[in-house]
Amino acid sequence: MSPSQQPSSPNPTHLKIRFARRFLRALNNLNITKTSPDDDDDGENRVYRRSRRVKIAAYTAMASVVGSRRAWSRAVLWKVRNRSRNRSLLSVRPRRKRVDCKITNNDHDHAKVFVRRRNPNPKRDPFRDSGQVLKLRKLVPGAETMDSWCLMDETADYIKCLAAQVEVMKTLVDLYTTT
Amino acid sequence: MSSRRSRSRQSGESMITDTQMADLISKLQQLIPNHMTKSSKISASKVLQETCNYIRSLQREVDDLSEKLSELLESTDNNSAQAAIIKSLIM
Repeated sequence: MSPSQQPSSPNPTHLKIRFARRFLRALNNLNITKTSPDDDDDGENRVYRRSRRVKIAAYTAMASVVGSRRAWSRAVLWKVRNRSRNRSLLSVRPRRKRVDCKITNNDHDHAKVFVRRRNPNPKRDPFRDSGQVLKLRKLVPGAETMDSWCLMDETADYIKCLAAQVEVMKTLVDLYTTT
Repeated sequence: MSSRRSRSRQSGESMITDTQMADLISKLQQLIPNHMTKSSKISASKVLQETCNYIRSLQREVDDLSEKLSELLESTDNNSAQAAIIKSLIM
């Protein structure tokens, strides 16, 4: 598949399998590392932090399956990478979303497969900032500075991957509750 | 929706933005659930609204499921064995 072509939409079964593998691997790593109890954590905080780690593992696994092909996956991976970096520096700096997106769009260094989707008509964008579109921009990661066409494209892919992720997680919960 | 211009400013610029947007919006419409009941054309703003609601509900589901998963992982002791079993099933 040459980089100039637009890749076809992901086969959902393959997506689920690849996501499930990475997610399980990440959960295994989580389990191994968090067996040491935190002394200063009360029960509720610990539960919250654990579920948060699982959630981050899920989003990271899905984003890494999709790779660098999509702006939303790049944005997710970048956010997670910076969150761990910020925590290690022990500083809490408020990051503005616009800066994030600009840097994300220029982050080509790690892209193994980077497909640029061309908006066929980038100059005319009358819907760019209409009400519903703004709400969508907040929901889809990395979508704040896109034009409407790319936004719709990213949204469609994001929804597909998110739905696959939810299905796999439901299956996992069922498996763990029955066994 | 803002008004659509009937003339393009630059000559030679394609006039098919609206149909392309309509294509994308119909693609979105197929992804959100309950699209079967509304097989007739529904407005683009409704599609966008349903999309936002759907994304929010999916994200909420991910939160709930990750909570459940973290509790389940905590409670079961032979996690690595189970994960190995599941992995072997998938691979």
